[in-house]
Amino acid sequence: MTLERRQTPLRERLKIPLMLTPALAVILLLFLGGLVAGLMQSLGYFPAAGLTEFTFRHYVDAVADRNFLVSLWTTFRIAFSVTLLSTVFAVGAALVLRQRFPGSRLATFLFQIPLPVPHLVAASAVILLFAQSGLLSRIGAALGLVDAPGDFPAILYDNASIGVMLSFMWKEIPFVGLVVLAILQSVGPQYEELAQTLGATKRQRLVHVLLPLIMPGVVSTWIIVFAFTFANFEIPLLLGRSFPTTLPVQAFREFQRPELTSRPKGMAIAIVLAVITVLLLIAYRRLARYSRST
Amino acid sequence: MTDVSLVHLGRAFGDKWAVKDLNLEIASGEMVALLGPSGCGKTTTLRMITGLARPTTGDVLFDGSSVVEVPTERRGAVLIFQQHLLFPTMTVAQNVGFGLKMAGMGKDEINRRVEEMLERVELSGFGTRKAHQLSGGQQQRVALARGLVTHPKVLLLDEPLANLDANLRITMRHLIRSIQRDLGITAIFVTHDQEEAVMLADRIALMFDGTLQQVGRPDEFYRHPRTAGIASFFRSQNFLPGTRHGDVVSTGAGDLAVGHNVADTGDGPVVVTARPETLTLSNRAGGENGLPATVTSAIYMGTHTQVFVQLAETTWTVHAPPSVTLNPGDQVFVELPKEHIWILEDDSAAQDGR
Amino acid sequence: MTSTSTPGPAPGPDQAVSERRLAGRRQINWLRWATVTVIVVSVVLPGVSLLLRSFAFRWHYPDVLPGEWGLDAWAYTIDDTSRVFESLGNSLRIALLTTTLALLVGMPAARALGQHQFRGKRMVEWILMMPIIVPSLVAAMGIHIVFIRLGLTATVLGVSLVHLIPATPYFVLVMSSVFANYSPALEETARTLGASKIRVFRYVTLPAISSGLLVACLFTFLISWSQYVTTVLIGSGILITLPMVLFPFLGQGNAAVAASITLIFVAPAVMVLILTSRSLGRGSTVMGGFGKV
Repeated sequence: MTLERRQTPLRERLKIPLMLTPALAVILLLFLGGLVAGLMQSLGYFPAAGLTEFTFRHYVDAVADRNFLVSLWTTFRIAFSVTLLSTVFAVGAALVLRQRFPGSRLATFLFQIPLPVPHLVAASAVILLFAQSGLLSRIGAALGLVDAPGDFPAILYDNASIGVMLSFMWKEIPFVGLVVLAILQSVGPQYEELAQTLGATKRQRLVHVLLPLIMPGVVSTWIIVFAFTFANFEIPLLLGRSFPTTLPVQAFREFQRPELTSRPKGMAIAIVLAVITVLLLIAYRRLARYSRST
Repeated sequence: MTDVSLVHLGRAFGDKWAVKDLNLEIASGEMVALLGPSGCGKTTTLRMITGLARPTTGDVLFDGSSVVEVPTERRGAVLIFQQHLLFPTMTVAQNVGFGLKMAGMGKDEINRRVEEMLERVELSGFGTRKAHQLSGGQQQRVALARGLVTHPKVLLLDEPLANLDANLRITMRHLIRSIQRDLGITAIFVTHDQEEAVMLADRIALMFDGTLQQVGRPDEFYRHPRTAGIASFFRSQNFLPGTRHGDVVSTGAGDLAVGHNVADTGDGPVVVTARPETLTLSNRAGGENGLPATVTSAIYMGTHTQVFVQLAETTWTVHAPPSVTLNPGDQVFVELPKEHIWILEDDSAAQDGR
Repeated sequence: MTSTSTPGPAPGPDQAVSERRLAGRRQINWLRWATVTVIVVSVVLPGVSLLLRSFAFRWHYPDVLPGEWGLDAWAYTIDDTSRVFESLGNSLRIALLTTTLALLVGMPAARALGQHQFRGKRMVEWILMMPIIVPSLVAAMGIHIVFIRLGLTATVLGVSLVHLIPATPYFVLVMSSVFANYSPALEETARTLGASKIRVFRYVTLPAISSGLLVACLFTFLISWSQYVTTVLIGSGILITLPMVLFPFLGQGNAAVAASITLIFVAPAVMVLILTSRSLGRGSTVMGGFGKV
């Protein structure tokens, strides 16, 4: 005897696809669609400007531009420094803030404040504080350290992009720090206590127990921070030099020129930007899988 | 080979004492169970021995020397946690070798000792695996190996078997016991399970509410518990209050003659107890210490019939032969042989407080 | 034998050990003190300097405090010529519309990802999370020409749609973790007790997820609120939002006006922080969202 199987109703089978459709539509149409449209434009297909011929010319143009490599390097330098410095300071801050001491709750609350604050506000504050006639310079003068605005180090619109990096770090240190803090809290003190009974000193516990435990979380915040810093537009535009600038600024400048024919070049730079972040993402997934399998 | 002394050991959190004035001597190579319900201060005691918690009062001595000022990492008291806590980023071998690496031992020596210890816990060939690839029992054995490989002065185990299923628990008991004996290591383990304490420990130290209640060999807790609270923790259910006058205790169900082997409680209010398997039921008065009782229920248990009887104001359990059939309401006499009666201090006030 | 201490009352080595411990503790406290100071200064100083600047009429170098106070900057800020009010209205409209859209498209997906296992789940997660890493600016640049053709440029809807690109992943990320921590068994129990699907949602689901939902909505709002370059692009310079008014004042413009607009611009963030400070400490996913704002 064979038993008749009851069919799963169509509604039931389509439930999950239907639930996913709206969000996927947004990302596929707007985001991936935008990327594809951008890719076509960068390849010279831009009917609005009368261009319909596919070509790599715009990429060659973009890369051959003396500004491109300098911008790429500047962007990398800023993103890498911000990521590295933010991580170091954030891990340090998290290790302090996870302890309970008088004022620790308040300090943790204050530590969170930069998170929801827009980057433009961070830039605004950095200008007020670090301009050569800013508050820090005035405090320096009151303490007799600075005689005139010109004596205060010029860290805005500077070659080293220190003002840019300060703005980013003001936002990113709390971000990384709170992620690390959350990991530390979920790990609890037990692994350290265990290591201690096995003879590990304070230093050894930090190096051999704590850091390996928080590493996976730290690496994933690295990727987010790096990608974000890499692609941010307004901070380097506001606080950096106009040359050398960063890739997003350069891409947007080319893109916004009045003549539509310069758009493909801007788009080509933007696509390079996107490709770098995608490569970063893939590298990260590989790394994550590798560290999980060994 | 280290003996451990806990002298007036206490730890307070504000006004509340988690552990109060605890005195205990543990001989070298002995295995002692710290037994008690959860929250009785046994884990706090363990943490004070390791140095993870600082005693508020008293001292911890290893071989007669105070170790209170010795930091945990130099104390040589290894703690095995309930949640095996294998370092997730390390392999099994790296986990086991952790303590040796911390001590700065050479790679070859570490590998040799780790391999030896893995063999000891029957995990040869598992060295390259990661923690999440092991079963719960294997993880616990790795945790044990990791603790033992450093040759600790004292081995401390916090509910080591609590996270394992019943079968595994038995195997692990044997393994822990045999390794501990072979290495002659002093061991203290914490448990809330009296059966585990009885099967594993040389001696048991029972704690209630931060205070040591009774210390002794496992059988003493069954045969000669000090108080009704201790007896009921060891699953005894038969308690009959009465008043002692020398060798006679008068109870609500009648007078009982007691032997000379009972505790010297002195005259006054006491509690009489006897284990269910030492009692007999009879339908005639006049047997030894026969007290009239009413059957409330009888459950066939295979090897015996468990009979619940109303004895004065209390309910007693009696193990009758499996062939016995009794019905609720039957009038019987419970006979309490003199040599099996045990007299307890009346701690009903303390019991109510719990 | 332990090597570091002697039995009984002999105080010598014991004392040495406790002194060593004390020294260690003092060093930790120094680090703690330094960290807390840096945190306090780096949060309080910007706030104070913004306030001082916005109320300063004359503030000559090298005075640490303004010489003359005044409300001129604020007067200009609330004046129509500054377009602050107009842009504030646009920012609010765009952020509210973005939040509503993210809620509508994000909730079902978050529920599917949080509570169900299905084939291709990792792939879906991958796609939905891509805009967290790959810059939305590039997508916005690419889609600009399409939006022109559809007449979506310089409209609130068009800008909101572009803001939806970075907002949706974060909404889904937070809500899927909320749903993952919420057991559908409760809903099933309510169903067996005779509650209709709508009532189950109203009386069982909604109360359980409401605080997580609030957090998700608040920072979706903030993501849109903070957008600058995508708004410039799709708004075609015609639809003006608050950061676009602020931008020219930063650096070169009137610093006092810049400070007062900045204070208006930061206000929702501060309110959100106060509203969510409890739930912030709990999960990293929530903070992950804020980090991107």
